[in-house]
Amino acid sequence: MSGMTITEKIMALRSGRDRVRPGELVWANVHTVMTMDYLGKQTFAALHELGVHEVFDRDRVICVSDHLVPPPTPQFATMLNEWRELVKQHSITYFYDLGKQGIAHQIMVEQGHVVPGTVSIGTDSHANTYGAVGAVGNAVSVSDAAVAMAIGKCWFRVPESVKFYVTGTWQPYVMAKDLSLHIMGMMHWNGHLIYKALEFEGPAITALDMAGRMTLCNMTVDLGAKNGIIAPDHVTQAYLHGRAKTDWSMIASDSDAEYEAVYEIDVTNIGPMVARPDKLDDVVPIEHVKGTKFNKAFVGTCTNGRLEDIAVLAHILQGKHVHPDVNVLLVPASQQVYLDALKAGYITTLVEAGVAVDTPSCAACAGIHTGVAGDGDVILSAGNRNMKGRMGSKNAQIYLSSPAVVAASALKGVIADPRELS
Amino acid sequence: MIQPLRGIAWASEKYVYAFDIIVQRFWTSPIDPVENAKWVMAGVDEEFNKENGFRDKGYTFIVAGHNFAGGGKSIEHVVTGLMGAGIKAVFADSFSRLQFRNATNYGLPFITCKGLVQHVKTGDELEFDPSTGLIKNITTGFEAQALPVAPFVAEIAAAGGLMQFIKNKIADGTVHELR
Ligand code: SF4
Repeated sequence: MSGMTITEKIMALRSGRDRVRPGELVWANVHTVMTMDYLGKQTFAALHELGVHEVFDRDRVICVSDHLVPPPTPQFATMLNEWRELVKQHSITYFYDLGKQGIAHQIMVEQGHVVPGTVSIGTDSHANTYGAVGAVGNAVSVSDAAVAMAIGKCWFRVPESVKFYVTGTWQPYVMAKDLSLHIMGMMHWNGHLIYKALEFEGPAITALDMAGRMTLCNMTVDLGAKNGIIAPDHVTQAYLHGRAKTDWSMIASDSDAEYEAVYEIDVTNIGPMVARPDKLDDVVPIEHVKGTKFNKAFVGTCTNGRLEDIAVLAHILQGKHVHPDVNVLLVPASQQVYLDALKAGYITTLVEAGVAVDTPSCAACAGIHTGVAGDGDVILSAGNRNMKGRMGSKNAQIYLSSPAVVAASALKGVIADPRELS
Repeated sequence: MIQPLRGIAWASEKYVYAFDIIVQRFWTSPIDPVENAKWVMAGVDEEFNKENGFRDKGYTFIVAGHNFAGGGKSIEHVVTGLMGAGIKAVFADSFSRLQFRNATNYGLPFITCKGLVQHVKTGDELEFDPSTGLIKNITTGFEAQALPVAPFVAEIAAAGGLMQFIKNKIADGTVHELR
């Protein structure tokens, strides 16, 4: 009998089985359940609908304000007030409200709520991010989350696993985002990664810091995958020490585990990549879009709003000024990221360079507030989605790239290759 | 004991998107299998684009290709509409994750069976045993083996959905036996 992949092992472990097979449905114990301001009220309402008025563990239901803070409209302000009351009513231990806020997926990893070998779910699609620490992270509906809040369990279909074995050396200014976009272009959003567990392995993955691993796992949801995961190693261990809220154990795929497919990628051959407007998988090497004019640049989101991303931006813009035809907005992914960036001097550098910095939130990523797109805008964003209307107006265009490309382009006023900076 | 199901299949290798199963003007209508069934599949094929067009064909199974009900829409009407139209199981090469969860949460088996669509034509009679996962094409004699359907899927269908299923489990004290 062959071995199991890391995702299968976690599913087996958490559902009290010796082994699981892809396609099987299991009820698994969840480590944490995350809900956020946008759907939190509905999730608590569904919990009450079950006749349950106490969550299964108040340390393991994590509540985060991110989509709607600071509230952009009176309606959202009212909804936030109702949400805040519900969170208090349930004596939730970890409530990241405005002041302690951040994008939920950043908070879940950065504050140590997810650990290797566990399953965590959230009411937002990018819960796949938790795979960066070797956990299974999954987005679920409001009713699934309410059930998990009530009983600490959720059902899962064990996914088939696909491995990306990544070798080679990262070229200067090439980031995990470029690999994500490269895979997007290669596999397509409606391609054969639908419902799969994507496992990333190999020397070029080991070389990635936790920020890069989060970017990579984060965008697996946009590939249609069920989860993305990287087995924990020394980088993970170092990251979790002093951060993880609970103990953890190391876990990895068996050497004889079965994969539906294995793809090998040599990252040495990957340069900066750009997704063109409206279609996530319309990805091209930067050479194809160099010189394209845009008027707004955005760095932030659960994909690329971390300290390491801000560091790249600050490094490129240090002592320079953004192009006069371009607005550049930075929104750090969390208060912790913001504070770290302040302490490192990045915020000063960036404000001096003409970058606007706003308080941590999802900002314009979902088109709700803080820098939404208007008619005719051409936006270069380090975020994760570029469908029509995603950031506001349907008459805006969104290009997606790494923070390094955003930074180089912000200087030039047209899409520019960071490798060509003098 | 779950009984084997028997009936006629509608089969297509084309992409079948969620937004074609339930077309946009019905996205906001209330969840109601009878109502949702009236225009289900209206965008998939012109012959279903009339009131109860799909339901009146009397299909029991759908056999599809890649990413059934994909396209990123989470509307639950897709599942309630198909159920209201008499569909008892859907077989496909792969499913949209959002709709797979919806289907299971209403108790409609979505069964991954790679390549089955190459062996089934619309109008073929199929027999499917949820407890063994065996699919027989009665018309052609072709057989395929899928994984058995987890018994809780039928229990969810009997309860009328995930929420009531969990309520029942909490009430009878068996919720912690779920695994
Ligand atoms: S940053 Fe964007 S993608 Fe991430 S959780 Fe917020 S809205 Fe969703």
